[in-house]
Amino acid sequence: MRELVGRYGTAMAGLALIAFFMAFAANFANPTNLLNIAKDTSFLAILALGFTLALRIAELDLSIAEVSSLAAVTAGWMIQAKYDPSLAVAAALVVGVAFGAFNGFGVTVLKVPSLIVTLGTAAIAKGLAFALTQGVSFVGRWPTGFTGLARGTSLGAPNLLWFLLAFTAFAWVLLKWTRTGAHMTATGEADEAARLAGIATGRMKRLGLLLSGVFAAATAVLLAANVSSAAPNMAGDYFLYAIAAVLLGMTMFEPGHPNVPGTVFAALVLKVLGNGLILMGAPYYVQDIMLGVIIIGSVAFSARALQKAAFKV
Amino acid sequence: MKTLKTMTTVIAGAFALALGAGQAAAFELGVIGFQFSSETHARVANAAAAAAKAKGWNVTILNSEGSLPKHAEQFETLISKKVDAIVIAMGKPVEADAQFKAAKEKGIPVITVQSGSSAHALFDIQSNEYKVGADAALYLLGQIGYSGNIVTARFDLNAASRIRGKVLDAVLSENQAVKELGKFSMARTQSWRDDVRAGMQALLLQNQGKINAIWASFDGQAYIIDDLLRAQGVKKGQIPLVSIDGGVESYRRIADPDSTFMATVTIPFEDMGAKAVEAIEAIAVRKTPAAQVNAGPYLFVDAVLVDKTNVQAFIKP
Repeated sequence: MRELVGRYGTAMAGLALIAFFMAFAANFANPTNLLNIAKDTSFLAILALGFTLALRIAELDLSIAEVSSLAAVTAGWMIQAKYDPSLAVAAALVVGVAFGAFNGFGVTVLKVPSLIVTLGTAAIAKGLAFALTQGVSFVGRWPTGFTGLARGTSLGAPNLLWFLLAFTAFAWVLLKWTRTGAHMTATGEADEAARLAGIATGRMKRLGLLLSGVFAAATAVLLAANVSSAAPNMAGDYFLYAIAAVLLGMTMFEPGHPNVPGTVFAALVLKVLGNGLILMGAPYYVQDIMLGVIIIGSVAFSARALQKAAFKV
Repeated sequence: MKTLKTMTTVIAGAFALALGAGQAAAFELGVIGFQFSSETHARVANAAAAAAKAKGWNVTILNSEGSLPKHAEQFETLISKKVDAIVIAMGKPVEADAQFKAAKEKGIPVITVQSGSSAHALFDIQSNEYKVGADAALYLLGQIGYSGNIVTARFDLNAASRIRGKVLDAVLSENQAVKELGKFSMARTQSWRDDVRAGMQALLLQNQGKINAIWASFDGQAYIIDDLLRAQGVKKGQIPLVSIDGGVESYRRIADPDSTFMATVTIPFEDMGAKAVEAIEAIAVRKTPAAQVNAGPYLFVDAVLVDKTNVQAFIKP
């Protein structure tokens, strides 16, 4: 039982939260509202999945939000300049790849701790985003070829859900079903032992940070497409929430380890919390307070069940 | 399992205690302020919420924290909540166009304040920023006899501040004896106070002894500049400082003989929030046709220039 609670306790608490809102928050169970929650979860979950992949190889990527914002304004600039939407998307992804690759280079070649490298690249990305925009958002009636990425539907479901599914499946298959994923996990859990076992740990670290950059850029494209605009601080608000989603995710399914289902479910719980509180008429500051209470409470709950620290970073 | 039950009960109890009040009244108003760290956004939203509560309405007040995605998300949730009406302070009608449209389709009236027009909102309550900008610019130039050097602090990310800056540029282009020696453009919205302090400090140092007056795009910037000037020993009137927005702190500084802050154009933010609620009541409760409440996309409110001659009237005892 203790093992069960340790592994699924936070998830059970999350489900209890959902059940609570289902019972007490009017319109929570409305299909439109549930769809809105799922769509809103997609941005946070994709960004947090990137952070998960970096943390899986025991590296912190503190640049995700700023890289995401830079990628968004890069795409926005190209859309405003009437470039084809596919080129704008490609340019945003190039930004993510470039920053992710540089983070990997900094960690493995320059031997700078990821905490420092990604703080540095976050500052660079932030500066570039403001340089590109001069502080003024790119805003307009953008082509549906671009906005449709987030606002459109395919096969009867919102595109955002398909993107969430695709990125989740990619990350999960990568970590659980491929040799590369196993090597990433080994690198994250015992770097030196993995290296002695013949695993190219440097390459794994570069890959994890590269994917983190790509996921940040993908989030940027979807964010910009959804609000038909791009601001230099666009994804800033997501930074703490993404970290919270990953940390909360580490208390379930694979306690103590950054994991894909945990991250996605935690992102969902965070969005449910925000949505449910608004539906219940809670003032905005109650959301922040409850977020803190739930994060600490969930982690403490799992830690108590396991009789050890839920995880260590 | 006992622990799980206890945790769930505690969480449920906390929610119930925190949220139990105010569920009974019939009319539901959603109020969204774009960024409460900007005092004016909070003033509008809080005034609207207070006016609505005074009518016995249920109010959900939200802060988008300057985040467009969060703004859109909160808007969508209020639509899901099926509120009876929404007031948005300093919103983004272009960026949140899809949400404005969705609200209209659901029959939820939306009134914005200082946001710009939207085809899907009833109207936008705002001061005439072109007039406000002209009042401030001409007052400033009058202080230096339409001749001399000025520096400016700007904020182009915000539509209202941007218009004020553009009007100043138009005034300067017609008064060539006044030269803009330099300007600081504020870009960041979260660490803006530090940025303004650093940027203006540099500008003041670069142009030491040459500055005759300073224009700030909103009062928050002016407070920081005033503190910098006072730290340098500048006395009231030596380098007149003029801005726009108004508020208790602005009036205090205008009246303070040690402050360099000379004048502001006071925008009645609280009145705007209250007006939005009155309009919602007329349209959504009393069913008055929207066109009778206000024709056109804007409902303008008067702004007043406040300086030493009339500041006492604005200072509450």
